[in-house]
Amino acid sequence: MKKKFLLLLFAVSAFCLTSRAQDTIKTTGDAPLVISGSVDTYFKDDFSGHGNIPTSFASDNNSVSIGMLDLGLKKSVGKASFVGELAFGPRGQYQSTPNGDGSQGNAGNSFNIQNLYVSYNFSDKFNVTAGYMATFIGYEVISPTGNFNYSTSYLFTAGPFQNAGLKATITFSDKVSLMAGIFNDNWNVYTATHDVSTFGAQLTVTPAKGWTAYLNLATGPTSGTIFDLTTAYQITGAFKLGLNAATFTPAHGGGGYDGVALYPNLAVSKAVTLGIRGEYFENKAIGTSPSAHVTGITATANIKTGPLTFIPEIRFDNAENKIFTDSDLAPTTSAAQFVLAAVYAF
Amino acid sequence: MKTIIIALVYVLFAKISFAQQDLLSFDEHNKYIYYQVTEAAGLTADTLHARGLNFLKTSYPKIKLKPTYTINDISAEGKYLVYGAPSVLKHERCEVSFQLNIEFKDQKYRYWLTGFVFTPYQRDRYGNFVPEPGIDFPLEIAMSKLDKKDVEGYLNETGAFCKQFGDHLKQFMLVAPKKEETTRKIVTDKW
Repeated sequence: MKKKFLLLLFAVSAFCLTSRAQDTIKTTGDAPLVISGSVDTYFKDDFSGHGNIPTSFASDNNSVSIGMLDLGLKKSVGKASFVGELAFGPRGQYQSTPNGDGSQGNAGNSFNIQNLYVSYNFSDKFNVTAGYMATFIGYEVISPTGNFNYSTSYLFTAGPFQNAGLKATITFSDKVSLMAGIFNDNWNVYTATHDVSTFGAQLTVTPAKGWTAYLNLATGPTSGTIFDLTTAYQITGAFKLGLNAATFTPAHGGGGYDGVALYPNLAVSKAVTLGIRGEYFENKAIGTSPSAHVTGITATANIKTGPLTFIPEIRFDNAENKIFTDSDLAPTTSAAQFVLAAVYAF
Repeated sequence: MKTIIIALVYVLFAKISFAQQDLLSFDEHNKYIYYQVTEAAGLTADTLHARGLNFLKTSYPKIKLKPTYTINDISAEGKYLVYGAPSVLKHERCEVSFQLNIEFKDQKYRYWLTGFVFTPYQRDRYGNFVPEPGIDFPLEIAMSKLDKKDVEGYLNETGAFCKQFGDHLKQFMLVAPKKEETTRKIVTDKW
């Protein structure tokens, strides 16, 4: 028995050493199955005593609440790859993805899918991808590991979250690439309502090292038209400046929105980065309703300890109209909140 | 018996944790370097040079040869992915670029990998891990930028990559390339 145990121990040892040598370093060949994701939880205190700011996520007031468990799988073999990303929890389900496929019997059944697509590299310069994908529009994303601030901007909340469709990306050089594709008629749907009629395009330009700009367009007879500029410039090793600007016009009925947000971040140590998000967002005039704007200033810190990031954040929003309520539930033009979030990435 | 098992486990983990990192040294400029001299009895510098070039082109096609190489040496640039976590939950953590130099003399060659530059990866909105734009720094100052445990892991993988590269190079250099075997043709109308 002891001999068998020792043999097993040696076999496991040899396997561990061999597999480490083979798996960890690859300059050619196929990557292993990639598993990644995150979990996040938060506490929010709106200074009015009740939830006030209507942007996405971090919605529960005076509560230790959960965001989501995000679980992504990716596998590449040769030129083909797939990504499947599942999310469980308020942030990853009803706050960011549709329920079911739109049919009545499936209305309350979450598919939990954030990304599900297949991709093929016809060459180093040309790629085609099809499926349900995170939107190519905007600065902020659904996954808390992809954002600096934990609360989200008005631009993010108003814009698309996902676009299902077929897209092709051609890379002209290290500095320029172009994506163009056709997507379902509506944003954020697993199934098209009528057809695949939204045209989308993204021009990516890298003017300098560390500076990337994306000029985005999505337009369709059902989804309307959105122009979006998203750019980030890592100006020094410690200082990064991001910018998002967008204008949206619905396909019917008028209205829409314009907005711009600025994201300066400064790393003050290897564990701590401080940042501010300043945003101006305006709902366009519609019918007899004039345009109305809101501004938001969010000061956020990212404090990293290994894979865990603590995100304390304070946010002040100020609106042209009385869209918020104070502690007596009386309409007011301003709102403020504090959030402390913890995000673990793996 | 129990003591032996504990000792074996300890040795195993010690080997995994430290062996690869120890393969790296510092050069006279305080840069990490992996340096080896290998004897190649009976082989001329010309032969070794040809085999070295062939090795890089066939086994590491993504390594970029510098156009200034001469008949006695090869200079090149490359990079490799580091997956980081020693578990099933692994993904691209960073890429490390490096400078490669190989020099040839009759019956021996030497090579060294140095100039390691670290670029962290981040997950994009589509679930892919991609280089973080504008962030890169020499591996020598990684301790001031990253967690110590992470840096040790990256150094381990760098050492492992260098050793793996050197072992492949040695196998290739010391064995004459096989002539491509062609399938024998058989003519069936004459027998």
